[in-house]
Amino acid sequence: MALAKEAYRELEEVVGKEYISDDPALLDCYRYPLSHTAIHIGPYYRVYTPRGAAVLLPGSAEEVQGIVKVCNKYKVKFKPSSTFWSAWGFPLEDDTIQLDMRRMDKILEIDDKNNYAVVEPHVIGATLQAEAMKVGLNTHIHGPGASCSCLASATALGGLGPDTLYMGHHNENLLGVEWVMPDGEILKIGSVGSGLGWFCCDGPGPSLKGLVRGMVGTNGAMGVFTKCAIKLYPWPGPATLPVEGKPPAYKAVLPDNLRAYTLGFPSWKAWADSCYMIFDSGIGYVAHRQFNMFGRDLKGAMVRILSDPTRTLSDIEELLKDPEVQKMTEDMKRDYQIVLAGMTPGDIEWQDKALDKILEETGGWKVKAMLEPDLFNWSLLYMIRLGHKNLNLVFGGGYDGCFGLGGTPDFGTSGEPARVEQVTAFKVEWEKKGNVVACGGDGMMGGIGGMGGGGHSLWENFTHFDPADKASTEGTFEFFNATAKYGAEKGLGPGMEKMNDYARWTDGYTTPKEIRDRILGSAAQPEAFRYQRKFKETFNPNDLGDGYYRTLDDPDE
Amino acid sequence: MALKDELAGIVGSECVSDDPEALDAYSKDLSFVKPVKPRLIIKPGSADEVQAIVRWANQTATPLVPVSSGPPRFRGDTVPSVPGAVIVDMSGMKKIMRIDRRNRVAMIEPGVTYTELQPELAKEGLRLTTPLLPRAGKSVVASLLEREPTLIPRQLWASLDPLRCNEIIWGDGNKLVTGDAGNWTSMEDAWERKQAPAGATGPGQADFYRFVSAAQGSMGIVTWASVKCEILPAPHKLFIVPARKPDDLFDFTYRLLKFRFADELLLINNSSLAYILGDGPGGIKALMKELPPWVVLVGIAGRSILPEERVAYQEKDIADIAGKSGLKLESAVPGARGDDVLKALLSTSREPYWKLGYKAGYQDILFITTLNRTPEYIKTVKSVAEASGYPTSDIGVYVQPLHQGANVHCEFILPFDRDDSKEATGMQQLLTKASEKLIEQGAFFSRPYGIWADMAYKRDAQTTTVLKKLKGIFDPNNVMNPGKLCF
Ligand SMILES: Cc1cc2nc3c(=O)[nH]c(=O)nc-3n(C[C@H](O)[C@H](O)[C@H](O)COP(=O)(O)OP(=O)(O)OC[C@H]3O[C@@H](n4cnc5c(N)ncnc54)[C@H](O)[C@@H]3O)c2cc1C
Repeated sequence: MALAKEAYRELEEVVGKEYISDDPALLDCYRYPLSHTAIHIGPYYRVYTPRGAAVLLPGSAEEVQGIVKVCNKYKVKFKPSSTFWSAWGFPLEDDTIQLDMRRMDKILEIDDKNNYAVVEPHVIGATLQAEAMKVGLNTHIHGPGASCSCLASATALGGLGPDTLYMGHHNENLLGVEWVMPDGEILKIGSVGSGLGWFCCDGPGPSLKGLVRGMVGTNGAMGVFTKCAIKLYPWPGPATLPVEGKPPAYKAVLPDNLRAYTLGFPSWKAWADSCYMIFDSGIGYVAHRQFNMFGRDLKGAMVRILSDPTRTLSDIEELLKDPEVQKMTEDMKRDYQIVLAGMTPGDIEWQDKALDKILEETGGWKVKAMLEPDLFNWSLLYMIRLGHKNLNLVFGGGYDGCFGLGGTPDFGTSGEPARVEQVTAFKVEWEKKGNVVACGGDGMMGGIGGMGGGGHSLWENFTHFDPADKASTEGTFEFFNATAKYGAEKGLGPGMEKMNDYARWTDGYTTPKEIRDRILGSAAQPEAFRYQRKFKETFNPNDLGDGYYRTLDDPDE
Repeated sequence: MALKDELAGIVGSECVSDDPEALDAYSKDLSFVKPVKPRLIIKPGSADEVQAIVRWANQTATPLVPVSSGPPRFRGDTVPSVPGAVIVDMSGMKKIMRIDRRNRVAMIEPGVTYTELQPELAKEGLRLTTPLLPRAGKSVVASLLEREPTLIPRQLWASLDPLRCNEIIWGDGNKLVTGDAGNWTSMEDAWERKQAPAGATGPGQADFYRFVSAAQGSMGIVTWASVKCEILPAPHKLFIVPARKPDDLFDFTYRLLKFRFADELLLINNSSLAYILGDGPGGIKALMKELPPWVVLVGIAGRSILPEERVAYQEKDIADIAGKSGLKLESAVPGARGDDVLKALLSTSREPYWKLGYKAGYQDILFITTLNRTPEYIKTVKSVAEASGYPTSDIGVYVQPLHQGANVHCEFILPFDRDDSKEATGMQQLLTKASEKLIEQGAFFSRPYGIWADMAYKRDAQTTTVLKKLKGIFDPNNVMNPGKLCF
């Protein structure tokens, strides 16, 4: 059923003619292919997200409020999205209104004393970083990289990334929110609600920040966030990043107080020990097992290709035979990247000494090849800016993460053999079938500090495939069924690969209720989803969001 | 069945009291909040008992007031607002359930005090950052739940740090474990798999633990919590940076906050420091005169990796930064030695509680703001005090940077003689007037005790509406400390 004419007219009145469309061609551009990286779902070959009823581009919180009120009047579902990187930002049902927030793209304030910025939804990491650096500050850029909305990750979705160790999880960085709630009321959370500025997200009294998000946010299913304040961090580098080189081999020669290393370790125990020592010492600006997303066996060659503009993917076979690349790959087997940023000359000296001491105690090393100027400057820029996230898809055009040994550094690295090796061995067998890229089984990438100051590590095992190839896509899906089963049997905790099964099903639409209830009901604490149902009933009385909000009906009711 | 017997059926008769003296003690505190006598005091020993109590309260429409810390109490939050309340005294739940050195978390029950926890942590090479000289009987969990500021801003990634996971019995009687631990069916299994309750967020798409923060017991009762510890520092030094005006210290403080240098970091005036260090009213008075008008206290600690070197590098860098602002890093100033201050900061308060050493009562005024705005508020409190005839030299000021410097806790400490009715009335008027002015000026009363609740909620109608709805979800019968905040 298409949108009622009257509703369309009222929506048009809110945003103006040029910012609304229900042209089917345009609506199809606002669909997402669930075969490539939806993430973390499927992959489902040639399945797309449902077509929206109209796309609107609001220009202000007031317009968003106007839209939400019309949606309440006509009981039309709406789905906001800021940078549209994944299926979370796309409807689960036909005839949903889609809000493309791109017109709201202003950095409203950077407070360089109290270190925060106030941003609209379409401010992306790269822009905020560039502006912040001008005043000696930096912003946390979360995992999917510098092209993603800062607000979406801080309020509505995830928010952890390579620099989380030093610059926090975006949940922690959120200092204030302006929220057009699903019933059309505007709530400003924290000090800004009292008209006092954007410096504190908690209070008066119990903190309503808790309603905005938890480990993840409400995934666009509970209203629209129109502004937020996020904490900024020091940047002891130049006001502009001196980027040079030909794409994609960008590099930056930065002052000596900024250093990027790839560290290698003789065992997983040593690897974990080093994480704990990093946490305890407080060193590090960015720390992440990043390049391993290309896989244990391929990362040495990939790093060579990506840092050299004359090379292409087709050089990979040749590079793999090169003894130097082989040595580098071996050195990097159990690795991670770390960037040290010295706030003063003394600070970088101390951090480097502390790092050497950690390496001495754990038997680790700085991978030599990664110290060559070209690789050093390439990886330094890569880790600071996180502007290369297209590379997640570089092998076959599709990727997704599986397993997910999220938790303490000891969790993923203990067991007999270490859990990370158990899942590696499991994946190697599946790689032999030829549907996913054979990268050595270990594509585990993830933070060395999944929360500010450290604590969590190892996140997801990257699995690369070809979304245009039916066998590859379906083979990957089969593999994910197997990893989910294996993870459950081994008590590894919920893997990434099925993270969204509760919401979106194989046809791209809302998951059937029985399946959804079974999935949510088997969580460690279904009670949480019963409370979320109450939040939905209370703050979203006309149920205008979608199934991405996890709610469970009481069996008794 | 009589009320007492019903409750005795849950916790055992020895854990229910209607002793008039004890009831009297809970009926009031050292604030201006109106005394109301509770009906009974009950001391649960387990989460199951707490859950049974809350369910019983729902059936019988009995107000519950959870209390975890020992006396003296100051903010009116544990004084019942309505008659017939039962005090749920959590101080008997004292287990330190686990200390995990490697992941630096401790799991504790709400009755555990700072005095009890620190020595146990020290055995494992850990310590928990504290508020400014908590009283000896202060519950760690209650302090963190009420968002009491702690002393090391660079460690505060999250605004509720170092509080992490919590087991909560909500006002509706349901139990929920929050944070990482909420994703596990059994803590024992989790420990076995080498997991640790270190992450605070979730479970699900809400940060449930934020709803019980600064709630004054009005949402639910926490029956255990995990806290993130620091490595026991050694060496550990404390420097004093003196100045004539607070503003002179801002550039320096901002720079340390930005670089995340220094450990303990707080601004304090001579009166506050005298309340901390001085001996008896005479000693305090003399010390106020001797001490510099304003100081920043800068702790520098080494921990585990090259600790001496860290302290040396930090000391040099921080001294350089001070020099650039025309300031000096001193190990002693007239009236105070860094070592003594450090000793005080690392301990719980001596007796009497440090804010009561000068006079037999005090009123504090506390809110959140940004560092650069604090001088306006200091001016306001001084002018209101002056107009009320309160000796401005007695006003203690304590500014604690929080959340890595994004904001500060600003606190005024106003000692007065409670037994002198004129002084008490004067203070009550001063409190009202100063609070009104401060809030108008932009002070954010994020933890609105007593009279601040109305003032704070009046400024933010939508937050008030949403909070009331939320309260309706977690405590539909309003049994949890009714009458507090906007409930
Ligand atoms: C390749 C890839 C890698 C990733 N890696 C990581 C990672 O390392 N760490 C991590 O945390 N996440 C990761 N993610 C998930 C990631 O969090 C999101 O994709 C990203 O945060 C959001 O950017 P986006 O462009 O997808 O945002 P959007 O598409 O704009 O939105 C993301 C979600 O937020 C909602 N939303 C957006 N704007 C608003 C608004 N204004 N109001 C209310 N709701 C809104 C949307 O509906 C959607 O549910 C990754 C995703 C991809 C595709």
